Amino acid sequence: MAFQASPFLHPGTVSQTDRLAIVHLKRDLQLPTILRDHDEDNEGYAEGKVVNTRFGSFPHTTLIDLPWGSQVRASKVDTGSRGRRVKKRKRAGSAENSGPTKKVAKVDSEEAPIVDIAAEEAGTATPNTPAVKEETEAVAAASGFIHLLPPTPENWTSSLPHRTQVVYTPDYSYILHRIRARPGTNIIEAGAGSGSFTHASARSVFSGYANDQGVDGSPPKKQKLGKVWSFEFHEQRHEKLQKEIKDHGLEGLVQITHRDVCEDGFLVAGASPGADAVFLDLPAPWLALPNLSRSKPPPKHNGGRSKEATPTVPEDASSDTTKPWISPLNPSAPVHICTFSPCIEQVQRTVSAMRRLGWVDIEMVELSQKRFEIRRDRIGIDHSAQLGVQVSPANVDEAISRLLDVEDTFKSFHETGEKTELKKRDRPNPNNRAKILESLVGRKVYKEGNLAHRSEPEVKTHTSYLVFAVLPEEWTAKDEEEAKLRWEVKAREDSEKPKEVIGMSKRQIKRTAREAHKLKAAAKTASMPGDETREHAEGVNDNTLKGKGGVPEEACGSIKQELT
Amino acid sequence: MRAHYLVQPNCWVALRLPSDTLKVLLMVPNTIVSLGKYGTFASNDILQRPYHLTYELLDRQEGHKDSGLRIVPASEIHEDTIAEEDAASSPKSDEAIIGGDGVEYELVGEDGEVIMRSNRETIDDSARQTLTMDQIETLKREGTGAGKHLIAKLMLSHTALDQKTSFSLAKYKLLKTKKYLRRFTVLPLDVPLLLNWYLSEKDPGKIMEMRDEMMGLTGSWANVHFSQSLPDAEGGRWLVVDETGGLLVAAMAERMGILYPSEEQLQSSSGNAHHREDAPLATSNTLTMVHNNAQPNLSLLKYFLFDPATTTQPCPDHPLNSHLQAISWLQLVSPEKDTFYSTSVEQLSPEELEAFKPGKRGTYYRKLRRWQRTTSIVDTALAGGFSGIVVASSMDPTSIIRHTIPLLRGGANISIYSPTIEPLVMLVDNYSTSRRTAFITSPPDSFTSLETDQERDNWKGDEDFPLNPTLILNASVQTARVRSWQVLPGRTHPVMTGKGGAEGYLFTGVRVVPARGKVEARGKFGKKRKADEIAANGRSDMKKGKLEGEAEELAATPAATDNGDDVVDVRMASPTL
Ligand SMILES: C[S@@+](CC[C@H](N)C(=O)[O-])C[C@H]1O[C@@H](n2cnc3c(N)ncnc32)[C@H](O)[C@@H]1O
Repeated sequence: MAFQASPFLHPGTVSQTDRLAIVHLKRDLQLPTILRDHDEDNEGYAEGKVVNTRFGSFPHTTLIDLPWGSQVRASKVDTGSRGRRVKKRKRAGSAENSGPTKKVAKVDSEEAPIVDIAAEEAGTATPNTPAVKEETEAVAAASGFIHLLPPTPENWTSSLPHRTQVVYTPDYSYILHRIRARPGTNIIEAGAGSGSFTHASARSVFSGYANDQGVDGSPPKKQKLGKVWSFEFHEQRHEKLQKEIKDHGLEGLVQITHRDVCEDGFLVAGASPGADAVFLDLPAPWLALPNLSRSKPPPKHNGGRSKEATPTVPEDASSDTTKPWISPLNPSAPVHICTFSPCIEQVQRTVSAMRRLGWVDIEMVELSQKRFEIRRDRIGIDHSAQLGVQVSPANVDEAISRLLDVEDTFKSFHETGEKTELKKRDRPNPNNRAKILESLVGRKVYKEGNLAHRSEPEVKTHTSYLVFAVLPEEWTAKDEEEAKLRWEVKAREDSEKPKEVIGMSKRQIKRTAREAHKLKAAAKTASMPGDETREHAEGVNDNTLKGKGGVPEEACGSIKQELT
Repeated sequence: MRAHYLVQPNCWVALRLPSDTLKVLLMVPNTIVSLGKYGTFASNDILQRPYHLTYELLDRQEGHKDSGLRIVPASEIHEDTIAEEDAASSPKSDEAIIGGDGVEYELVGEDGEVIMRSNRETIDDSARQTLTMDQIETLKREGTGAGKHLIAKLMLSHTALDQKTSFSLAKYKLLKTKKYLRRFTVLPLDVPLLLNWYLSEKDPGKIMEMRDEMMGLTGSWANVHFSQSLPDAEGGRWLVVDETGGLLVAAMAERMGILYPSEEQLQSSSGNAHHREDAPLATSNTLTMVHNNAQPNLSLLKYFLFDPATTTQPCPDHPLNSHLQAISWLQLVSPEKDTFYSTSVEQLSPEELEAFKPGKRGTYYRKLRRWQRTTSIVDTALAGGFSGIVVASSMDPTSIIRHTIPLLRGGANISIYSPTIEPLVMLVDNYSTSRRTAFITSPPDSFTSLETDQERDNWKGDEDFPLNPTLILNASVQTARVRSWQVLPGRTHPVMTGKGGAEGYLFTGVRVVPARGKVEARGKFGKKRKADEIAANGRSDMKKGKLEGEAEELAATPAATDNGDDVVDVRMASPTL
């Protein structure tokens, strides 16, 4: 098959056959669907492949080639042979329409018995020839609709088939931002689980497809291609995700390896992923950490350190002394890591292992997220009458007038013995469709009441603890020596006049100026050589304090120095 | 590739000091960097060295003015904690064993009296009685004060809440000695760093108090990513409204891979005087920034070597030159009223040009190019088809949406950040189910009289319907917040002080394309349902519909099917997002 861009990264403007689309039913209810222009599984609908929802049925043919975001009406679907029972109503429905239009004719001899019935019913089957199934044009139903959306990691995350707990949008957004997953990054992810994080990280690191020709066939940019190196040791999950990645056009951008990363590390086919970023979402991240070192991790028993917290080095092929140890990390970049663990004990062990393995800037945070319900609170007798639910008065005046009503009733009962109370049953039901629509359109109830917000009833109060850390690039004495040669430092003698100094605070600058002033005074009296010093120091002062439009305050002095 | 991750000459870096404050500096070669009272060092000593290294200023050599540097290895950074941890795990050590280098932790009072000498965090009763409120204040001052040999930094979580019981609320964090105070860490200046520097030290208001977690969410929900056009697949273009001085633009550009110049682009910075106007405009993977004033305020982009305001650009080949396209609201909404856009620069014939003096010819060309660039940016923007919009602005979001929604293609993602929730609440109210139902049931005449879809998309709303409520799906508001923890042996707990200020909220939604004509929702009008819940597939949970439909749907709904073997991973199962 020809190379196809991923619908996640290049959705285009319209939905396409064989690509993933999200059927949006309502908030928090979305169905990911790969659109097919024919029914390869033979589910038996006359209209071909159909998405059935509680808001109606939607043949794929009505969803293909639509501008993204389109609202789509439900169709009357001919269940055809599907139920085997002939449904009168359905057939009557399909007869109404202009008759079956040939959209796709498909020859498939295996489906004979079922399709025969369908074909006979449609009056098109010819005996003894392979059954020809005709897919009919869909007819709009009276009610029900969906919206068709392009896939994004966000709607995929909320609609994907859960095989494990997954990392949701608030967490992965923050994590990817903090571990600097950007176009061109190589990111290691373990375990892949249901692939929620996998999809989000693929979007973050994407910087071109491996077989990308670039616009107008120009040679692909020299830019480093980002990639997700994903690991999962559970066989079925690995397989399922592998298939999803393929279906989603992310092959080449995501490489999934079936592997226990604690035991066998992170090399893929013996080679290093060259990772700049790492995300570990597995039960014991501290067991995987030693495999994420820059150089061969220390052996199991290292001098008297507590056995408990010491990460152990797996005995596997990679620790084979004959082969050189290969690090899965990018040797010329700092590596950012995040581990994701629900329990505090996991965090403590992870952090402890990180400290011992040379990670720095170790930080732990927890992220909480809230979604809000926004609505109009309609309170008051007026509304109660209309909706038949509220009984509280809107304000004191209303309360008093109601009390007065009661008083009146009471009085008239005593005076005349008449009961004015209306029986419940006699009150009209305010909740029928017509009434509600009338109140919407006529009374504009959507503008009444107080606009209010509150947290949604279900709140995720804890997902996991997030541990972040950085492993700086390794810097050897030799590297330092070379750098020293390239960037020679000429030592300033004590007596030497000051060079340009950057990074001083305003207070310091003032003090320097003051000192220079004193020096100047001293120089005057003793006529010592110090004038130059003063002038220079004041120069710094002037530049930095006043700044110059557009030129960064901090840079002022230094830029000037560079020019001179 | 390698050099990219080393400290580059003439780029911005941040030095993190032991007090956790940041010093942001342009690393000019052959200069001296001052760390205030702790000393000075030569910039050359950290140039082309890796980031994230921690250095220590060494004692000055005799006769020398500046200190040399020593790289502090990670093992040394953590040695105290590791020692403590080891001590804690070996049961016999009752006594507090402190870091291997013999440095002791002490909490010293005003008069130099040693109040506590332990690594334990709890202060015993006698210490509590010794300390007065005044002393605490002194300690606080001294904690950030000058070169004491021993300092104590006090962290009071809620002193103001109840001064009387301040001692029970006080927690102490002990810092190390002078040696420790002479350390600093070199960090690359990227978006998260710039954000945190502005938030905690510089000017949180300038960046609308936008925290990392909100920035991450904003970018995700707008689906901003690298997306260059391919021969057979259209790339992405995003609209951005940024009143954070360019931080939002920087963050989105970072996601799109157009914020940092490549090594070659950095190299070319030396010298040649070509102009920003010369950069060909990119047609995909672009940010179109709509700004309030005549010129966009992008002052924070200077930290990424992009400074559209200056003529001598720090990096003339910066990717933002072609990928960031600025347009004013006037140009977007009423381009004909924008003088610059509407006064075309006359095309001159070669003869006419010949007649010009070279200087004048140059000016003419520059003017022509600037005009061509602007018209091209404006025309492209007006043609619409944007993949999404990202907003952080103090302007009413309803007005922003009114003018940008026609420019978004179907399925485009919308993210609007606001420091406070109220403007977003009002925005969402425009899309309430009841308002939408009312609109569908009986659209205003001013709307129905419009013929084409395009005219309808451009409908400017009326009093009842400030926005067309059918153009955005899933309008909702959320917030996220991180809480930091201290993780130390036996002392793991959330940090006790944090920043107040704006909470920060995010509106999200998707641009959709309503079907023409009336569309009936499927669902029943239940007896006790409120008006809000009935319409347009609202929240109404219908009675069993088609059986087969239900079954298929069930199969597709998220259901944890396979969690059994994750024994250690006891993440809480929670039914909703
Ligand atoms: C909680 S799930 C990950 C969810 C995933 N981050 C997502 O967003 O969908 C954890 C996964 O890690 C896998 N896993 C656990 N230990 C592993 C190991 N040592 N090597 C590889 N995978 C492992 C489990 O099989 C499980 O699928």
